[in-house]
Amino acid sequence: MGPVARLTGVTHRYGAVAALQDVTLDIPAGCMAGLIGPDGVGKSTLMALVAGVRQLQAGQVMVLGGDMGRAPVRRATAPRIAYMPQGLGRNLYPTLTVRENLDFFGLLFGQDRAERDARIAMLLKATGLDPFPDRPAGKLSGGMKQKLSLCSALIHDPDLLILDEPTTGVDPLSRGQFWDLIDHVRAQRPGMSVLTATAYMEEADRFDWLAAMDAGRVIASGTPQDLRQKGGGKTLEAAFINLLPADRRGDPAPLILPPRPDSGDAVPAIEARHLTMRFGDFTAVDDVSFTIPQGEIFGFLGSNGCGKSTTMKMLTGLLTPTQGETELFGEHMTSGDMQSRLRIGYMSQGFSLYGELTVRQNLTLHARLYAIPPADRAPRIAEVLRDFDLQAEADALPESLPLGIRQRLQLAVAVLHRPRILILDEPTSGVDPVARDVFWRKLIGLSRDDGVTIFISTHFMNEAERCDRISLMHAGKVLEVGAPAEIVARHRTDTLEAAFIEVLAHEMGDAARPLGSEGIAPVPTQNPARLAALIRTRAYAWRETLELMRDPIRLFFALAGPVILFITMGFGISFDVDRLSFGVLDQDQSAESRGLAEGFTAIRQFAEGAPLAGPQELAARMRQGDLSLALEIPDGFGKALAQGEAPEISVWVDGAMPFRAETARGYALGVIQRAAKDRAVAAGASTQDAVSFELRFLFNQAFKSANAMVPSILMLILMLIPAIMAAISVVREKETGTIANFRSTPVTRPEFLIGKQLPYIAIAWGGFWVLAALGRGLFGVPFTGQIWAFGAVALIYVTASTGFGQLMSSFTATQVAAVFATAIIAIIPTVNFSGLIVPTSTLALPGKLIGEAFPGAWFQQVSVGSFVKGYGWQDLVFPALVLAGFALTYLGLAILGLRKQER
Amino acid sequence: MQSLKNIAALTVKELRALARDRIMLVLILYVFTAAVWLVSNAASTEVHNLSVGVVDEDQSQLSARITDAIQAPMFASPVALTPEAAAQAQKAGRYVLVLSIPPGFERDLMAGGTAQLMLLVDATAVAHAGNGATFLRQAVLTEIAAWAGPQAASTSSVDVVFRNLYNPNLSPMWFTAVMQLMNNVTILMLILSGSSLIREREHGTIEHVLVMPVRPHEIALSKICANGGVILGAQILSLLLVVEGLMGVPVTGSLPLYVTGALIYVLAMGSIGLLLATLAQNMGQFGLLVIPVIIVMFLLSGAMTPMESMPDWLRLAVRLVSPAPHFVSFAQGVLYRDAGLLTVWPEMAAIAAMALVAVSLVLWRFRKVLSA
Repeated sequence: MGPVARLTGVTHRYGAVAALQDVTLDIPAGCMAGLIGPDGVGKSTLMALVAGVRQLQAGQVMVLGGDMGRAPVRRATAPRIAYMPQGLGRNLYPTLTVRENLDFFGLLFGQDRAERDARIAMLLKATGLDPFPDRPAGKLSGGMKQKLSLCSALIHDPDLLILDEPTTGVDPLSRGQFWDLIDHVRAQRPGMSVLTATAYMEEADRFDWLAAMDAGRVIASGTPQDLRQKGGGKTLEAAFINLLPADRRGDPAPLILPPRPDSGDAVPAIEARHLTMRFGDFTAVDDVSFTIPQGEIFGFLGSNGCGKSTTMKMLTGLLTPTQGETELFGEHMTSGDMQSRLRIGYMSQGFSLYGELTVRQNLTLHARLYAIPPADRAPRIAEVLRDFDLQAEADALPESLPLGIRQRLQLAVAVLHRPRILILDEPTSGVDPVARDVFWRKLIGLSRDDGVTIFISTHFMNEAERCDRISLMHAGKVLEVGAPAEIVARHRTDTLEAAFIEVLAHEMGDAARPLGSEGIAPVPTQNPARLAALIRTRAYAWRETLELMRDPIRLFFALAGPVILFITMGFGISFDVDRLSFGVLDQDQSAESRGLAEGFTAIRQFAEGAPLAGPQELAARMRQGDLSLALEIPDGFGKALAQGEAPEISVWVDGAMPFRAETARGYALGVIQRAAKDRAVAAGASTQDAVSFELRFLFNQAFKSANAMVPSILMLILMLIPAIMAAISVVREKETGTIANFRSTPVTRPEFLIGKQLPYIAIAWGGFWVLAALGRGLFGVPFTGQIWAFGAVALIYVTASTGFGQLMSSFTATQVAAVFATAIIAIIPTVNFSGLIVPTSTLALPGKLIGEAFPGAWFQQVSVGSFVKGYGWQDLVFPALVLAGFALTYLGLAILGLRKQER
Repeated sequence: MQSLKNIAALTVKELRALARDRIMLVLILYVFTAAVWLVSNAASTEVHNLSVGVVDEDQSQLSARITDAIQAPMFASPVALTPEAAAQAQKAGRYVLVLSIPPGFERDLMAGGTAQLMLLVDATAVAHAGNGATFLRQAVLTEIAAWAGPQAASTSSVDVVFRNLYNPNLSPMWFTAVMQLMNNVTILMLILSGSSLIREREHGTIEHVLVMPVRPHEIALSKICANGGVILGAQILSLLLVVEGLMGVPVTGSLPLYVTGALIYVLAMGSIGLLLATLAQNMGQFGLLVIPVIIVMFLLSGAMTPMESMPDWLRLAVRLVSPAPHFVSFAQGVLYRDAGLLTVWPEMAAIAAMALVAVSLVLWRFRKVLSA
C-alpha cells in the first residue's frame, strides 16, 4: 500500500517565521501515524496542510492520491478526510448539546434524519456518551469533549482521520480510553489511516509509525523502536533529545532531586483546611485539605477543569473560598492581606506578563509593586536576569521570545521578591523537553538551596515523579496524596501512571467501563447529492439560531437593542424647538410694550419668563444659560409707536446652540411682525397685505419632528444592529476556532454565509415590524403608505444590512474589530449622508454619492415615504431594486473575501 | 503611601502599553485633529445649499426677479418646474422648498390689488425646512418690496435689532467643533479604559497583578489616570491648536476652569468604561455593550439636538444617569458664555458624583468578575 500522504519539499512561513522548512515525508497508510515534538515545531501546520484546511505555500502535498494544491481535488477529497483541530473540543459548539453537535456535523455531510439517527446512536454508544445526549458540549469534562470531537470526526466514515493533539490536558485514564477507542475503530475499519500528534512522548510508544519534528523539520521517522534506536535512549523522550542538534540538547547530566533536609517542627508553609469553592451551583473544589512543609516540592496532578487552578487561586488569595481556610506559615490568610502576598510568587497558566513591556520593564514593574526599595531594585533585577540567563533578552518584548524562554521569564518574575512559596500553575505545558529540564533544575535549586516551598501543577507524569509528594485531583476532589514511590507501592503497579489510572477508574465507576464493546457498524450512506447544498445551508441556519437563542448578551442586543435605541433616539433626537426660555426687559411698561411681550408667551414655542429687572440681570441670566431669548423694550416705545415712529427694540439670542438660536429668531420675528400687523389693522388699515405669503407644510402638516425623524431612525437602527450581529456571527467562528469545521467539511462559501445570514434576516425583519408598530403607536407617526409593500422592501433592506455585516466579517479577525469596524463604517454615511438630518437633495455631490453608495439613503426615502408621503408599490420598485443590488453585491464580495483555506 | 506608589507604577505601565499601541495612537490623533475639522464642516443643521424649485406660472419680470433673489449660500439655484413635476419631485424628496408664483402675479400687484405666493415645504426635512422657509420668505418679500419702490418699503413699524450673544454669526462650526471634542472624549474614554481592563482579563495579566500586594482600586485608578491623562491632554491641545488656532473658533472662557471640568468628565467616563467592562465577559460582548451606550450618550447629551426638545421624563432620566448632558451645558457655559465657577459648579458636582458612583460599582464588581 502506498503512503496515505506524501509531502514533497513543503515549506510554510508565517511572516518571517518558517513553520515548515522543506519537509519531504511519506506518511504510511492503514496505520496509526504520529508526529511528536513540543509546541511550535510545525506539527499543526503539517497536519492542516494534509487536511487541506491551510493554503499550501510551496511544495506538493498528495493526500489519498490527490494533489491538495488543486481546488477541485480538495473538494473531491474533503469528504474522505476528518480533521480534529488542536484544543480541547475547539471545533465543538459549547452551547449545543451532544446530540445537536453531532446532528450538525451529520447535516454538513448531507445525511438525512434516519442515517444521522443511526450513526449518532452507534457513535454515542461506542464512546460511552450515550447517557448524556442532552448535555451542552461546554459542560462536558475534557475527556468527554475529546470523545465528542472524535464522534463528530467519525460521523462520515472518513478514510483519513487527522487528530491534532487530541489528548493534551486530559486525565491519564481518559487518555488511555481515547487511544483504545481509536484502536477499536481502526479494527472495525482497517482501511482507515490515522495521523495524529501528541506532546506526551510516552503516549507515542503505542503508535505504529512516528515522525519526530524540530524547528520545522522532520529529524527522524520510523517505528517507535526505530526512533529509540536511532536516538539511543531508553525512553522516546530521551531519544528525542539525543536526536536534536548537539548544541540544543541541554545539560546531559541526569536530573536528580536531592533529598529534602528535614524541616523538623517548623510550621508548615501551607496548611489548607476543607477548601470548597462553588460558582453558582457548580462545585469546582470540594472539601480539599493538605499540609505542605517548608521547602517541599508538592505536585498537583489532574486534567483540565478538575479544580487545580481554582485551588491555586484560593491559595494566592485571588479567590476567597466559599468554605474552608488557609494558613501560610501558621498565619491565617485573608483576601485583603497584603503581607502574606509578599511571601507568595505566582505563575498562572498561560503567559500572563505584559506583552507591551520589555523583559526589563516587566521586572521593574514587579519590583516596584512588591515594594523592593529603590536602591535594591537594579541590583536585584540584574541578579535575576543573570540567574535565569535572560541578559540577552532583557530589552526584548516577551512576545518575540520562544515559549521556553517566556516560561523562564515568568519564573524569574515570580521569584524576584524572594518569596517563600511559589505557586506554579502548569508552568511547563507545551514547553520542549530540553527547556523543561532547564526549568526543573531551577525549581530544584530553589527548593533545596533556598528552602522555597513549591506548589506546582502539571499533567506530565514524568514531572510528577520529580516531586517530593504529589496529589491527584479529579472533579474537584483530591483522590490521592503521597510520595510517588509510596503511591506506586500502595497500588502495586509498575508506574505512577498506572497507579493513577487505577485510582481514577475506581472513582469514576461506571463511566470508566472499557469502551468499544459495542461494535462500530458501518451505516449505509444515502446520497441526496442534489439536496446536500440545501441541507448544509439549513444546518448552518439551524445551528446559528440555536447558538443565538442560548447566548443572552447577543440575544439581548439583537432583540432589545433596536427597541431601546429606537425609543431613546425617537424621543431624544427632536428638532421641535418648544418652550424656549424667554425673558422681557420692559423699560417702557406701556400697554403697547406689554402687548408685544404677551405676543411671545401666547405661542407654545416660548415659555413664560419672569420679567427682568435691568440690563445686568439680563446679561447675568443669559450667561447662566437660563434664557434662550430676551426681549428688550426701551423706554418710550409706546409713545414712539403712537407718534407713528419706528422705535427700536432689541432681541437677545443665546447663540451657544446655533440651530436653536436660528429657530428662536424666526419665531421672534414672526411674533413681532404679527404684532405690527395687528396694530395696523386696529388703526384701520386693510386687513390684507399686498402680498400674502402662504406656507404649506406637505406630508407633515403639524411640522412635528417625530414624523420625519422616527422613520429615519428606523432606517438607522435596521442598518446598524443587523450588520453588527451578522459581522460577529462569522468572526466568532474565527475566534473560537469552529471555523475549522467550515474549512474541513464539504460546505461551500455561499452555503456557509447564507445559512448564517438567514437567522439574522429573520430577527431583523421581526424587529422591523416591532419598530414600525412603535413608530405608529408610541410616537403617533401617521402611516399613509402600503404596509405590505413597505414590509417587503424592509426585508430586502435587512438582507442588505446583514450582508454588509458579513462583508465586514470577511476582513476582520476579532469580534471587537468586527463590532467597531462595522459600527464606524456603517454609522458615518448613514448618519451624515442618508437624509437622517440633512436632506439628501441639499448635499453636495461627494456627500450625495457617498450616501447613495450605502443602502441607508435608499431606505430612508422608502421609510419616510411609506409613513408620511403615501408611497405605494410604484414608488418603491426602484429603491427595492437598488437595495436588492446591494444585498447581492455584499453577498458576492463576502464570498470572495471569505477564505475556505487558512493562509 | 505604598498605595500611591503602586498607582504611579501601574499608571506608568498603562502609559507604556498605550505608547506601544500604534493603531490607537493614530486613532486618537485622527479624531482630535482631522475628524474634528471634518465633522464641523460636514452635515449640520445650518440652512445651506437648500434645494429649491420654482413653479413660475407668471413668467413676468417680477417673477424672474423673485427667482433670482433665491441665492447661495443658503439656497441652491432654483430649478423651474411645472406644477405636476413639482408635486412628483417633492414626493420623491428632490426639493425641500417649492415656490409657486401664480399667473397674473405681477399684473395684480401693479394694479394695486393683492396677490398670493405659495411656498410648498417638504416638512419631512425637519431640521431645515422651518428655518429655510423663514429665510426664503424674507428674501422674497424683501425683493418684492424693492421692486415696489422705496415709498412702499417701510412696512414694518418696529425696528428690530437682533443681538446674537456668544456666536454673532450663528456659525454652526463654533458649536459642532466643541461638541465633537466632547464626543471624542466620551467614545475614547469608554473604549480605552474598558478595553484595557478586558484585555488584561483575557490575557490573564490582571490575575497576576492581583496576586501581588496590589489592591483592586489601585488597578482601576491607574487605568483611569493613564488613559484620562492622555485624553485630557489631547483634548486641551485640540481645543487650543485645532479648534481655536486652525478653525478660528474663539475660546473666551476660563481655560483653567474648563480643564478642571474636563478632568472630572474624563474621570467619570473612564469609570463608566471600566464598569461596562466588568459587565462583559470578553471583548466581543464589550463591543456590543459599549456601542449603544456611546450612541445614546451622544444623541441624548444636548450636543446634537436641544435638551429642551426632549420629553421631561427622558431629560430627567438622562441627566440622572449620564454625565454627558452635564458636561455639554458645562462646556457651553464656560467656553461660550464665559460662565464662572459659581454658575457651573452644580454640573461639575453632578459629573463628579456619577464618577464616584461608577468607581464604587466597579470595585464592588471586581471580585465577582475575577471569579468568573
